[in-house]
Parts: sequence; structure tokens; C-alpha cells
Amino acid sequence: MDEEGVMYLVFALLMPLIGFTILPSFGKGGFAIVAAALLILDVILVMLMNWADFILFPLVTNLLGITFQPAAGYKIVKGQDSILKEINGLYYATGFVTGNLFGYSFKQETALQDEQGKMIQAPDTWERGVMSIDFPFKFHVIAAGLDSQKVRDEFEGKRSYQEFQLSRALQGGGNEVTITDIQRKINIFQTKIDRLSQGERPLASVMYFETTAIGVSEKAALDSLTSQIKSLQISMGSMDIDLARVQGRELYTLFKFNFGLPTSFEEMALYFDQQG
Amino acid sequence: MSAGEYMDKKLLVFLGLLGLSFVLVIIASVIPLSAPTDVLKLILLAVAVVANVLAFSSRYYLYLILPLFEQRKRDIVIADQSPYWLSSTSDSILQKVGDDFVATVYINIPLYRSATEMSDEDKLNFAQQVSRMVGISKEPTRFSTQLYVMNKDAYIQKLRDTITTVEEEEAKLVTGNAPANEIERVRGKAAMWRKMLDNVGRGSSLELSSYASLSAKGGKEFEAVSLVQQKARELMSGIGATFGVSPNVVLGNELLKFVEPEYLIPFSTISEQITKNIQEEVI
Repeated sequence: MDEEGVMYLVFALLMPLIGFTILPSFGKGGFAIVAAALLILDVILVMLMNWADFILFPLVTNLLGITFQPAAGYKIVKGQDSILKEINGLYYATGFVTGNLFGYSFKQETALQDEQGKMIQAPDTWERGVMSIDFPFKFHVIAAGLDSQKVRDEFEGKRSYQEFQLSRALQGGGNEVTITDIQRKINIFQTKIDRLSQGERPLASVMYFETTAIGVSEKAALDSLTSQIKSLQISMGSMDIDLARVQGRELYTLFKFNFGLPTSFEEMALYFDQQG
Repeated sequence: MSAGEYMDKKLLVFLGLLGLSFVLVIIASVIPLSAPTDVLKLILLAVAVVANVLAFSSRYYLYLILPLFEQRKRDIVIADQSPYWLSSTSDSILQKVGDDFVATVYINIPLYRSATEMSDEDKLNFAQQVSRMVGISKEPTRFSTQLYVMNKDAYIQKLRDTITTVEEEEAKLVTGNAPANEIERVRGKAAMWRKMLDNVGRGSSLELSSYASLSAKGGKEFEAVSLVQQKARELMSGIGATFGVSPNVVLGNELLKFVEPEYLIPFSTISEQITKNIQEEVI
């Protein structure tokens, strides 16, 4: 979590904390229990909004039947998972699916040989996936090259910290599982540093699928979209990537990206800070 | 709204809602204890909880919370204008973000290679080329592959016109007592075109395109457009050097293919697709 997130969380949790300290002033018996329940609910909701807003937010909009118009002619449905557009009585429903191909780019601690095999297979796997799809879709990779030196310094710092943890675990007689886990983390950072040394450029990336379905009614279009998304998840499943349907605020962000992209890495990070 | 103004507003809303929540809790705590006021205290506490959760949610959902308060209805309008317009140079789309203009350009990448015709070495090279291309720019750039339904509107219209012409020819021959073999020949021609129209309309053909898009911000329209053009030139030379192809900037209405959902499925195929869906449902 970034600094701003910590600040929001700390201030939001202050209110229930104050509430608990003055709990007796809310009455005795049943009144005190209800007040305590409300304060606990507050803490739970804040925590949920922090770590799982994509579950809570659509739940609220679904319950209250709230829809949004993000631009003229478009509508974000109450489930917060699709965008509708109506043209001459026909409905076009658009949905998004995450598709981060990290396994094919930068984040794995695999041996080079394994990775080469995966890279050789990638064009075939991709083509087979695309050939089994008979509806419109888009696959987007939003990428920004990062400063190699900065990233290298960051990885070296993290590796040093893990080395410090390892020495403490070894001196303090830490258990086997902890030591193996720390060693694995050190290996990951070392692999990344080695790859940077070999001239590979670090990237910040966001990858996702977008698909559009049509229907003569809102429901027909939305049902068709759901079925397309399921097909997409099956067809691209062979890529060994996490294909989750996008819900909530990220749907709005990805919708806006069709008309204008972030112009700096900082702006891009602002939208996706929780995804790292 | 500029980024600075947005941040100010965000902080203001957060502090405002948080302040409200604190004030309500304090008021609830100072109200003297008695049977009717205890209920009031709980109501105040419940409102404080809602304000507190909203304050925290404003971090990500300010764009919805403000219109929700202002409009107080279920169908909330965040924006009632078209999300973009085409620039006068027809090579980019523009949108207004706060006081700035953001121009976005689309670059077509003519890649027509298939894995079926590649050796293992070619496949590895290709995958590495893609990785290299993705890392070309320091600024956020979007690389996309799009599968869409081929627009056969013009071709279908041409076929319909041809059928009409042949039918007129047939009618002329029939009324002019032309030889039977000549009439048969024209009827055969008409049947051939009708069959072709039937075949073309029956199935939807899909097309795959690859393209890149990137944006630039400027205080004036022309400033944003010229900045994005400059960026596009740099990106095109990078892509060209990586793949040995000649990327080109997408112009005019062609841009809509990458922006608007209805251009993914052109009108001529819609009725056909819906009929197919209904048939499948019936089966």
C-alpha cells in the first residue's frame, strides 16, 4: 500500500477507535451492543473497501440499482462489470478481462531454458487461442519502460534486506520453511538483477482483454457478453494467465483508456497502484 | 479538472466527510443519557459510520460520490458529452481533461506472420521482438491486437445493385421476346449473384489487426496534437526497426474501428448474427 493509502486508512480507523473509547456514553445494555456492532461494521467496511472494493462496490450498486453514464451514449450497468451502448435499437455490451502475461515477460524465477521453451510456444498458443474465438475481442498491453538504474537499485535494496533476514534466521535457528522461503526471495531478486545486467529493460505494464457483444435488448447483450467472456477465458486459458472479469472502478478506468491514455508513468500508477 | 484540482477536491471531500463523521460521534457522545436520546445517539452513530466509509471510499470513488450527492438518483450521469472528437488533422482523437487537451493517435502495425510458418528459432525471435516492441517507449503506450468482424457493407450493397441490374436485364429480355437461351443465360447469372449474396451474408468473416496507441497532453488542441504526432513518429520508427515493417498513422473514420464498439461488428452482419443466435437458442 502506498503512503496515501496508509494515510486514508489510519484516519478512517480513527473514528471507530474514538467510538470505542467513548462507548459507555452510548448507553447501557442493548444500546451499547448496537453501538459496538456499528463501530465493528465500520471497521469491516473500511477494510473491505481497502482490499476488496471490487466486491463491495458492485454489491452496493446492485442492491440499490445504481447505474452510471460515463459519457454520452454509454451506460455502466448496476453490476459494474459491463458498459452498454445503444445504437438504433441494438445494444452493444463491452466487458474487460485481466490478462497479465507476466509469465512471458519479467516476473518469474524460472531457469532460462524453461523460459525459452515458453517463449517458443507462445506464438503457437496465442494463435490457437485466437483461432478458437469467433467473436470480436481486443487484447491490450499498456506498457511504460522504467529507468533501469532505479529499478536495479530497488531490487538490490530488497535483496539486501532479504539477506539480512536470512542471516538473522540462520543465527536465531529459524525453521527450514522460513529459510527456504527467504532464499527463494533472494533468488528471485538475483534473477531480476541478472536480467537487468544482461540489458533487459524493466517495464511497468497492464494487460487486459476487451470484448463486445450485441443484442436486441440490454439483457440479450449482457447475456451474450457473459458467454463471450467465458469462451475467452477458456480459449486463452492455455496461456497460463489469470483471466478475471474486471469489475468496479477499474472498468471505468479501462473504458476511459479507449479515448485517452495516461501520459506519464506516474499517472498510470495512480490508476493501478493496488495491482502493483 | 486538472490533476492538481482533482487532488485538492479529493482531499477536501475526504476531510469534509471525515470531519462530519467525527462531529456526529462527538455530538452523540455528549447528548445526555435517557431512553429517547439513546435511539438518537445510535442514529447519529450510524450516519457517522456511513460518512466515515464514504470518506475512505472517496479515495477511489470520488468520480461517483460527487455526482451521487449532486443528483441523488439511481441513474447517475458522470458525463453527458461525447468522450472524444476527431482532430482537424484527422489523425488523432481529442478529449478535454480539466484545462488540458489530450490527443490520442492510433498507429497501424502491418504484421502478417503466422506461427504455423515459423521455425522454433523464428518463434523465439518473434516473441523476443514483441517483448522488445513493448518496451520501446518510456511513456505509457498501448499495444493492441483486435479481432473484429469484417465490414462487408459495401460489398453486399454492390452485390445487391448487380442483382437489380441483372433482374432489369432479364425483364427487358422477357418483354422484348428475346431468344429462350438468352433469357436462360441471364436468369442463370441472376441466380449466381443471389447465391453469392446468400453466401457472403451467411457467415461473418473476421479480421485481425495490430495497432499501437499513445496520448499527449497540451494546453491547446494544436499543442496536444503536434506533441502526439511527434511521439507517434518516434514510436513508428522504433516499431519499424524492430519488425522491419512500415507502421502508419490511422486516419479519419478508420480510427473509429479502434474506438467505437459498433465498428467491431458492422451493421450488415448484425441482423445475420442475431438470426443465428435465435436459431441456436431454438435448437
